[in-house]
Amino acid sequence: MTLWQRIQQFFLKPSKRPKQAGASEPSRAPSISGDLRQTASAISDLLGDNDDFVSLRFHLFGAYPANLFYFSSLVDADTIHREILKPLMAPLPRADSAPVRVSHLKEMLLRDQLYFSEGEWVTDFSTMIEALMKGYSAILVHGIDAALLLKTRNIDQRAIDQPKTEQVIRGPREAFNERLDTNLALLRYRLPTEKLKVKTMKIGRLTKTKVAVCYLEGVTNPSLVQEVMRRLSKIDIDGVLDSGYLEQFLSDNRWTPFPLLQSTERPDKIAAALLEGRVAIFSDGSPFALIAPVLFSVFYQVVSDYIEKSVVSSFIRLSRFIALVFSLIFPSLYVSIISFNPELIPTEFAVAVAGGRAGVPFPAVIEVLVMEIAMEVLREATIRMPQQVGGALSIVGVLVVGEAAVEAGFASPITVVVIALTTIGSFATPAYDAALALRILRFSLVILAGIFGLYGVMAGLILIANHMLSLKSFGAPYFSPVIPWSAKGAKDSLFRGQLWKLNKRPESYRTLNTTKVGKETRNLVRQEPHNILDPVSYEGRRNNDGTSSPGDRHRGGDGDH
Amino acid sequence: MEHPRQVTAIGAAMVITSTIIGVGVLPLPRFASEAADAGGPLVTLAGTVPAFVGLWLITALGQRFPEKSIFLYSEDIIGKWPGRLGSALLILFFAALSALTAREFGEVVVTAVLKKTPLEVTVIVMLLLAAISSRNDVVTFSYLHQFYLPFILAPGLLIAVYSLKNAEPLYLLPIWGNEPKAFGEGMLTIASLFQVSFIMSLLIPSMSRPWKAMRAGLSGMAIAAGFYLLIVIATIAVFGPEETKKTLWPTLELARMTSLPANVLERLDAIFLIIWVTAVFTTLLSSYYLTIHAISNLLRLRDHKMFTFFLLPFVFMLSMCIPNVLDLYAIIRLVGKTGLILTVIYPLLLFTTAWIRKRREAS
Repeated sequence: MTLWQRIQQFFLKPSKRPKQAGASEPSRAPSISGDLRQTASAISDLLGDNDDFVSLRFHLFGAYPANLFYFSSLVDADTIHREILKPLMAPLPRADSAPVRVSHLKEMLLRDQLYFSEGEWVTDFSTMIEALMKGYSAILVHGIDAALLLKTRNIDQRAIDQPKTEQVIRGPREAFNERLDTNLALLRYRLPTEKLKVKTMKIGRLTKTKVAVCYLEGVTNPSLVQEVMRRLSKIDIDGVLDSGYLEQFLSDNRWTPFPLLQSTERPDKIAAALLEGRVAIFSDGSPFALIAPVLFSVFYQVVSDYIEKSVVSSFIRLSRFIALVFSLIFPSLYVSIISFNPELIPTEFAVAVAGGRAGVPFPAVIEVLVMEIAMEVLREATIRMPQQVGGALSIVGVLVVGEAAVEAGFASPITVVVIALTTIGSFATPAYDAALALRILRFSLVILAGIFGLYGVMAGLILIANHMLSLKSFGAPYFSPVIPWSAKGAKDSLFRGQLWKLNKRPESYRTLNTTKVGKETRNLVRQEPHNILDPVSYEGRRNNDGTSSPGDRHRGGDGDH
Repeated sequence: MEHPRQVTAIGAAMVITSTIIGVGVLPLPRFASEAADAGGPLVTLAGTVPAFVGLWLITALGQRFPEKSIFLYSEDIIGKWPGRLGSALLILFFAALSALTAREFGEVVVTAVLKKTPLEVTVIVMLLLAAISSRNDVVTFSYLHQFYLPFILAPGLLIAVYSLKNAEPLYLLPIWGNEPKAFGEGMLTIASLFQVSFIMSLLIPSMSRPWKAMRAGLSGMAIAAGFYLLIVIATIAVFGPEETKKTLWPTLELARMTSLPANVLERLDAIFLIIWVTAVFTTLLSSYYLTIHAISNLLRLRDHKMFTFFLLPFVFMLSMCIPNVLDLYAIIRLVGKTGLILTVIYPLLLFTTAWIRKRREAS
């Protein structure tokens, strides 16, 4: 076997490696039999080693032997005491006090005795164990070959907070948190329609993560939903700890640095995506939901674009796009112009640049690369830093990278300016994962610029553009609606058209129902406005009326001041 | 390979335009004024006629056989072996054209921008770009062309508009030229710059509406021809025919003369050239793509990707075996004019045969 084959095998076929622990099922399958002691011991064998596992033997209605199981860490003890044990342990307040038949007990418990809407009898042993692990309580009664599961789960959760990574000035301030239920509630609150469908499945052999796929029936293309479900159902992994795991399995192209699914922590963004006919994927335990498919627009469009007026948000979008291009090519342009074609820039400026670089011993490409790497380290360190030292360290970082590097003759002032502009530009990109892709490519462009100058930068850009043009997210071309051109779609690309002009849902997602804005509204905006408060016509109307009350006149007088 | 029929008519038109406009624009005004000095624009206009005929033929043929490319239906029309011979010649021709395009642009880059870089490096970078990108399917191929078209047209138009400041209309008179002795030859040379529009033959099997191919192709070529005409007029109007004859790449000189307001950039020709890497890239991509598809069609391969890198060393050697720029242009003219036999006469032969034998694709 050649080295190359070995490398290939290592990277491409991880499935050939021995299976992880947890894949193996227990050899003998215990079941829930009517024999309380036997079942209880089977459960204790499996879970008894945990100190937070509680197995409580009691007498149901003071007569029937029963057993309650739960994990004390997952449930609310108060609920257990008051809602379960109290009604169950108390003897039946019946007049005739005739003993209830065991077979009746099963029905009676849920119907008459317990105040639980989410309780059910299960007969499968492994289902019961799984439920116990999720915070349910299980009650076994001697003589009944089923277990009563009660949803007593009480796990503390984070409050609904402001979005940490996608902030807006104007717009909703809610963000998802880790609980799937909360996240779905946030979504349903925004889309109170029966058309919103939620399909859930469990992924992960050990984590058994609940994954929810949401879409709007009658809007989203059903084949898209099917494809998402198909790709999800193929995932066999021991654990899904965040929606990012799913993203990597759902991507069409696994080697691309560009995001082919969008992740967001904003419920309004998910609602907007669903209205566009896309699919949202939630994963329990992750505050980030995924949107599929995603186009290049993720790089420069945000939800608040639709909140502001068309002119304003078009301008902001354009500036965001410029920042994006800037952050990608600015350092490489600088390197290639300084080291290969200094005659391109105006002479005065070239002299200034040369003067600034006079004390720097390295070629421009090394200088830029070192500064870029320093910037990356600084950025990464700022994320990890404890907040108590954060302020102090960032001041040191700024001083070191900025002032001191220049003073020490390590970098020229203009390099610092270039790096600073680039870094700031990269923060203007709304999606964090999109900005990451550009960061990686920026490095390769700088290296190309150092070797081939402008020609190399152009070659690199052509390669990047070709790669992006060949990308597809669930079959939708990455650059649509611009390439392939669609005049309707282009109204909402780099510029954002008026909301009533964007009367159709984006073509790229091949939606079933395409109408966004009704015809009447579209006609309404074309009509002349009624100038109610126009001074001339208002006076004219009042004189025609002739009978306006003094009160009216008084109010009119107020308005004049 | 299953071809998704997704290429729109506008897409096809854009492919044709961006394919035609390439490195040939740089020496174009020289070719034109060498043929008929002040009559350069007229020669250019005349040169588009054979080009249009060639494109019309290849599109008409394609519409007769909307499921196949020329490398497949030629065998249906004139028989297996003559058809294969024709395809083999076309393969050789387009491989040579790719080599010449890469070499020509390499020369320009080495002369104007990267003076210390070896020629081999610039050529191999260009060829590598084409080889990597030609691994895509036809639909993505058309996306590439659509994406780059604005970058190809905008700098040329900008330069043409700016040059109006220095233009001298007298240079363009008389319209038919002073001594148009080489009019016919010049016409053919210019017509040869349009030959890569042969790519239409590959596009038609992937078009969603093949019956629109004729309009798309002709309008795409009309845009390119208009662009060529504009560049020729602007260059001759600024430099005069005599000066244009003496310049190796008059269009580049024209770019050198223009300067942006506010003195943002001192030299515009380098920027022009760099942005024009895209134009050269699209042309090279088309001819390389055509070569590879022709080979895989000839050998009945399902996947064209196999030859993308296999062909690279041959094309590279072909482009490197030319000793210098002067020989390069002699060869370009020769190959270009000979190529017209393959890209105009051969389709004409096929078309008439198909017409006489009433051959159509069995539907």
